[in-house]
Order: sequence, then C-alpha cells, then structure tokens
Amino acid sequence: MAETLTSRPTLAEADAHQAHAHIDADTNTGISNTKLGMWLFLASECLLFGGLITTYLLYKRPLEGPTPDEIFDIPFTSTSSFVLLMSSLTMVLAVSAIERGEHQRMRVWIGATAALGATFIAGQIYEFTVFVREGLGFTTSRFSSAFYTLTGFHGIHVTIGIIMLVSLVLLSLRGKIPEHKAETVEIVGLYWHFVDVVWVVIFAVVYLIPS
Amino acid sequence: MTITSHDNVPTTVLDGAVKDYSRDKVYVLTAIFLAVLTIIEVFTYAAPDFPVWADELLIPVLMILMAVKFFTIIYVFMHLKFDKPILTRIFYMGLVLAVLVYIAMLSTFRIWFDGQHG
Repeated sequence: MAETLTSRPTLAEADAHQAHAHIDADTNTGISNTKLGMWLFLASECLLFGGLITTYLLYKRPLEGPTPDEIFDIPFTSTSSFVLLMSSLTMVLAVSAIERGEHQRMRVWIGATAALGATFIAGQIYEFTVFVREGLGFTTSRFSSAFYTLTGFHGIHVTIGIIMLVSLVLLSLRGKIPEHKAETVEIVGLYWHFVDVVWVVIFAVVYLIPS
Repeated sequence: MTITSHDNVPTTVLDGAVKDYSRDKVYVLTAIFLAVLTIIEVFTYAAPDFPVWADELLIPVLMILMAVKFFTIIYVFMHLKFDKPILTRIFYMGLVLAVLVYIAMLSTFRIWFDGQHG
C-alpha cells in the first residue's frame, strides 16, 4: 500500500518534468472539452481568415480610388502591431499568474491586455476614419471592400476578446476563478493569442508587401 | 501515472511545484524576440534597397519573418509545444487545409502570373 502511494507522482513531481504544467482532464484525450473546443474553433478560424486574406490578395489592385501604397500609414500601423504583440505578452503573464494562484497579479495583467487591445482598436478606428476622409470608402473599390472586410473582421475579433477579458476580471473579483479553474483564463488566452497571430499575417501580407 | 483533475493534491505541494521554476522570463525573452522581428519587418519598408531583401527577395524575407513570428506565438505563448500532440494536429489540420484550399483558389485566379488575375 505504501509503495502504491509513493509510486504515484505528486503534481509537483510531474510538473517538474514538464516545461509547462497541464493537469490532465478526466476525458479520453486528457484534454478538457472546453479547451479541445477552443482549439477546434481556432482551426476553423484559419479557414475564415484564410478566405478573407485570399480575397484581399485577389482584389488588392484597385481599378479606381486610392491604392494601398498611397493610403497606408506604415509607421502608425507598425505601432499598432507592436501594441497588439505586447498584449500577447501580458496575456501569457496573466495565465502564468493564475497558475501560481496570484489573483491580483492576474487581474493586473488581464487589465493591461484589455487596455492594449483597446488601444489597438482605437488605432484602427482612427485609421479607418483617415482613410474615409481621404476618399477610401467601403464601396469605393474592390480593394477597399476587401480591406475593410478583412481588417474589420479582425477588429471585431479583438473587440470580442476585450469583452472576454473584462468579463474575466469581473469574475475574478467575485472570486469565481479559483486556481483549479485557471484553464478558463488559458482558454481566453488562446483566443487572444490567435487574434494576435492573425494580425501578424495581416500586417505582413496587407501592409508590408507592396502592391 | 496520469494525474487527473480529481486528484486531491495538497496546496502546499502545488505551491512548491510552481515556485521551483518560472516561465515568465521565457515569455519576456520571447516577446523581445518577436519585437525585434517586427522591427526588422518595418525596416524592410523603411529601407527597401537594403541588400538582404532588395528586389525579388523582399516577399520571401517578409514571409519567413511572418512564419517565424506565427509559430513562435503558437508554440510558446499558446503552449502548443508543451501541450498534448492532439492539439497540434487539430490546429495544423485547419491551418494546412486553409493554406491548400486558398493556394488552389489563388492559382485558379492565376495570381502567380503578373497582370493576369482579377
């Protein structure tokens, strides 16, 4: 009996042999249904954004109206990209904090992530406003339609992410995210990182590759 | 050997497990690495005649930088490197399917031949 107890590794022992702590869920795969569902959702999102990026590539040479090279403000968009990239760091630090049971620190990092996301969205609204003032409306050209649809869809995803982050903070303040529910933060984090990854592609393909 | 979420693990043991090492430093270093790659990307715009990416090399260089950033984020920040392999397979299933479908679509529209698409 004693041998049975001692041969079973504690979480600490198992964790020490892994680069990252992941407690197995009580399912066939050892992964919680929620987490599996999120990864399946993200895989399907690849198809959504792939379609939007492909459409943009097909229509990026406008027959009328301003061209991408004329209208894009690369230094401004680079700053926005940097802000979103850093939000991934604050998000992963929030996940790390809740895994250690540091609730206050987790809330600070999540708040920072939401603030950085909101800054990105504010930048996108400003960018769209400038473009419209310069004559690039949604129906100005096939390029403008494809551009606004792609970046707008991404912006909606970021906004949904911000809503989820704020909800997390509120739930945490009510004490509804104990350590054993740290996976909730991790799942929201997965969504947020994916939104960042999509922007990495959009920034390179849409903004940096010359038309 | 598998530990499930139903196991009763003393909090003190859990605390000890996570205090032994910190991944935060890895995350900060990864973010710095990503920031450097972003600066290089922006530099391709600021200095388009730089020999490393002059002329036809610009798009391949940007694609490589983008891919490195993409996989760094999904492997480190999204923990794919440390998680169960089935999650990697699920994500790659969607990613590869998307890439193949849209390469086929772009080929249908002859985007690889300058001036012949649209």
